Amino acid sequence: MSDVMSMVVGEIVLNRELVPRHFLMRVKLPASLAIPLPGQFVMVRIRGRIEPLLGRPLSIYAFERDKTALVIELLYRTMGKGTFALSRLKPGEDLEILGPLGHGFDIFPEIKKIVLLAGGIGVVPLSFLASHYRKLPTNDHRIIAYLGAKSADHIVGMDRLKETCTEIKISTDDGSSGYRGFVTELLAEDIESYLHGDSVIYACGPRAMMKRLAELLKDQDISCQVSVEERMACGVGACLGCAIHVKAGGDKTQYRCACQDGPVFDIRDIVWN
Amino acid sequence: MKNKKEQINNSEPSMAVDIGGLILKNPLMTASGTFGYGKEYAPYIDINRLGALIVKGLSLEARKGNPPPRIMETPCGMLNAIGMENVGVRAFIDEKLPFLRSFDVAVIANIFGETINEYKKIAAILSTVEGIHGLEINISCPNVKRGGIAFGAHPDTAYEVTGAVKSFTDLPVIVKLTPNVGDIAEIAESVEAAGADAISLINTLTGMSVDIEQRAPHLKNITGGLSGPAIKPIALRMVWEVVNRVSIPVIGVGGIIDANDALEFLIVGARAVQIGTANFINPRATLDILEGIDNYLKRHHMKDINDLIGTLKDGR
Repeated sequence: MSDVMSMVVGEIVLNRELVPRHFLMRVKLPASLAIPLPGQFVMVRIRGRIEPLLGRPLSIYAFERDKTALVIELLYRTMGKGTFALSRLKPGEDLEILGPLGHGFDIFPEIKKIVLLAGGIGVVPLSFLASHYRKLPTNDHRIIAYLGAKSADHIVGMDRLKETCTEIKISTDDGSSGYRGFVTELLAEDIESYLHGDSVIYACGPRAMMKRLAELLKDQDISCQVSVEERMACGVGACLGCAIHVKAGGDKTQYRCACQDGPVFDIRDIVWN
Repeated sequence: MKNKKEQINNSEPSMAVDIGGLILKNPLMTASGTFGYGKEYAPYIDINRLGALIVKGLSLEARKGNPPPRIMETPCGMLNAIGMENVGVRAFIDEKLPFLRSFDVAVIANIFGETINEYKKIAAILSTVEGIHGLEINISCPNVKRGGIAFGAHPDTAYEVTGAVKSFTDLPVIVKLTPNVGDIAEIAESVEAAGADAISLINTLTGMSVDIEQRAPHLKNITGGLSGPAIKPIALRMVWEVVNRVSIPVIGVGGIIDANDALEFLIVGARAVQIGTANFINPRATLDILEGIDNYLKRHHMKDINDLIGTLKDGR
């Protein structure tokens, strides 16, 4: 069957720790792989190993393509045994890659203020999104990034954001850089300026951050898309492991898959409690 | 020009197997709950090459499933507590089955009920539609409060469900057994006596995993079903026990990742195998395993897979 895709083998060309527990990985893949869209992810396994067993879903940070290869960049934080094993790999070692997967961010070229709200490693898909907006033919978007982290030494992705964003605002839990407190508080100070139909908010970060954002936007008229994170086994909607609780009309709710129906959802569709 | 002997050695071995009257082109099946409704993996695998496709377990009405987190990786395995989320049997027939009808593959519906009456109704509904070639009775799901394992854990209830489904269908009926029992062969004998056409085993083992920092279970459901390579030796032992006690075909399930794993089950006596968790880590797992078995048969100069099944040498 000509339309059968397959898992591909990718070669690691870079795997470097940027700040403690945060790694930048570049993986060289066959050029035939589909071009990733902002918000999409790949399932990553270490080739030939049975442990860790399952692939790990990693958000795509950036990509480059030429006639012979597609090189994707993955920026990840070590969380458990899977990401820790990935962090030990050296250039030249092989990965098994399935993807790009999932439903990425909707793009609104006509909306001129693009607001990004990133918590920690949540900066990854948002940075990809910012560069996508910057490459649009009009290229007249104001891109304002709100970046929250535990402390100054946990901030990642600043260099890329500086290339694409009009403005970057920082908050840290301990005040070691920028505003001291939650990044949602920083956004709350400016929210009035985004409520005139010319802005869209994109967010990715810890669930607590996104829940606070949902509360902040509850009675506000502004569209907001969030990228969620869940443990996954298959990445394609078969295992139903990555359930996200969403509204289904009236008082009804249902589960959707983060992998196939997301990972990007409208913030108002998700049941946050 | 090859001589006659070489031609015989190079001819493709026959892979066809008979599962209770259902003739499959090969013994590779997708385990229920690990292949969605087929469409999810269609971009990655030529479904026509499968022996059978067993769809996600179906209940009479749609089921929402358990709250997340639903899965957790454990050493060489995974725990899941999906909770039988599915679209319901009628939505399956209307929305999912038309896609599957376009393939030349045996489609087996895995069915699940909270009561025996529900099992009967689902069996009756599925027996009247085109494109279903067999039923697999799920009496072994550990992740639901009612039904599932409650029927599979005792010979009498397993007998009752099997007999009830058999009286409402002419399709071949496979009964999927749980390993969470004292004597699985006793349950197997019971469902054979009730008229089961085949038996598949094992479903997942009930397990648990704890987040030591939070001092809380990783799964919202607290316990889940363990699958993956970690359970393969247990599954193999149970298949061996059951093939020695029943006459109907046995389908081996549990932690099969590669062709060597599948060959172990066939040698022990399984007439077919189901691939589950391996689909998640490699969408092509079933076909890679099929090719590996084919190579093994050629290497051992076997012309028919049935010459391999049940050839375990005892007493070593």
